[in-house]
Amino acid sequence: MIELLYLLLEDAWFAWIPAVGFAMVFNVPRHMLIYCAIGGALTHSSRFLLMHYGVPIEWATFIVSANMGFLGLYWSRKHLIPRPVFTVASVIPMIPGSYAFTAMIALVEINTTGYSLGLMQLVTENGLRTLFILTALSFGLALPSILIYRGRPIV
Amino acid sequence: MSLSKEAQTELTRVAVFAGQILHQHGAESRLIEQTTQRIGLALGADNIELSVSPDAIVITSLSDGHCVTTTRRCFDRGINMQMVCEVQRICVMAEKQLLDVRDVKKRLKRLIPFKHNRWLVVLMIGFSCASFSHFFGGDRAAYWVTFVAAALAMILRQELAHRHHNPFVNFAAAAFVATTITSFGVIFEAGENPQIAMAASVLLLVPGFPLINSVSDMLKGHINMGIARWVFATLLAISVSIGIVASMTLVGVSGWTS
Repeated sequence: MIELLYLLLEDAWFAWIPAVGFAMVFNVPRHMLIYCAIGGALTHSSRFLLMHYGVPIEWATFIVSANMGFLGLYWSRKHLIPRPVFTVASVIPMIPGSYAFTAMIALVEINTTGYSLGLMQLVTENGLRTLFILTALSFGLALPSILIYRGRPIV
Repeated sequence: MSLSKEAQTELTRVAVFAGQILHQHGAESRLIEQTTQRIGLALGADNIELSVSPDAIVITSLSDGHCVTTTRRCFDRGINMQMVCEVQRICVMAEKQLLDVRDVKKRLKRLIPFKHNRWLVVLMIGFSCASFSHFFGGDRAAYWVTFVAAALAMILRQELAHRHHNPFVNFAAAAFVATTITSFGVIFEAGENPQIAMAASVLLLVPGFPLINSVSDMLKGHINMGIARWVFATLLAISVSIGIVASMTLVGVSGWTS
């Protein structure tokens, strides 16, 4: 139990850094960076927890990003700031970038070295995983405006 | 409320200017549409209709049965959430009738994109990619190799973006540099698993924002905007992988598909 708590804390610590780093690339205002850090640490560590108890990565991503969507809703009503400012930077650590690049590189390799089952497997599996995780991520974030606000402005 | 022809034209220009700023700085289509409409209505139009397409917005304002239509081209000026926040704030203030057309125009014209200190960004991006290497199970050597490679790639990316180079060229070059540096980590056998650094050091080039915007645009009914953003993000990812493959072929280290 203590071991798990330690792993969670470590995960949260390493997750806030990319959230803030990418928030700075998107030029999120300075006093909002702390929310991106909190969001990044919370989402990535709770996804780690869900995956630790055997939830598949797509569903775990969907659940935590839906929660992030509602948390972002609260923050955005409180500070009168559009939601993507907090939410997108917070889920950046969960973007399946490595899968996407592996799929693309395997695609380029098929062109140079010829078709092989191993390469095609890499393309399909990594490509599909990218697609599903990404859809889960965006759908989760959009959930509050799809279910509750339905076209009305949030702030 | 009845508006003169000049007043209606001015209102339309101010509203389209707000929409243009949002579009150029990477806001979601729903946000562009809603904010532009709200500003137009707050300034006294009866109705605002607008069409958002990937490189332009077209807006028509209605007042007393008269229409004024105008189009603005929208060139990508890089994602800047601070600009989006400011336009949103102006919109809320206009809705509370704290600002009239002239104030809104003055405030929109005064907006200057805020940029974080570039060396701070380089440092944070270096640590971000290094954290990703930790998530992939890398040891301390992989951590620092990733840090150096990602920071140098970020410097190159900023320099090329500053000189208005094509984003595809920019991303391919940055991926090439990052992969070349981390390949030396593999050649000199830094740590237990130096291949991890190769995967982690290019993650600063993942087009995360366009991808998320793309899916949420499509979910909310802006299919053509979503497709355009998706294609743009995919092309960026392809140019990154071409940069990686070029570097792996030149240096002769393979770290991804083996």
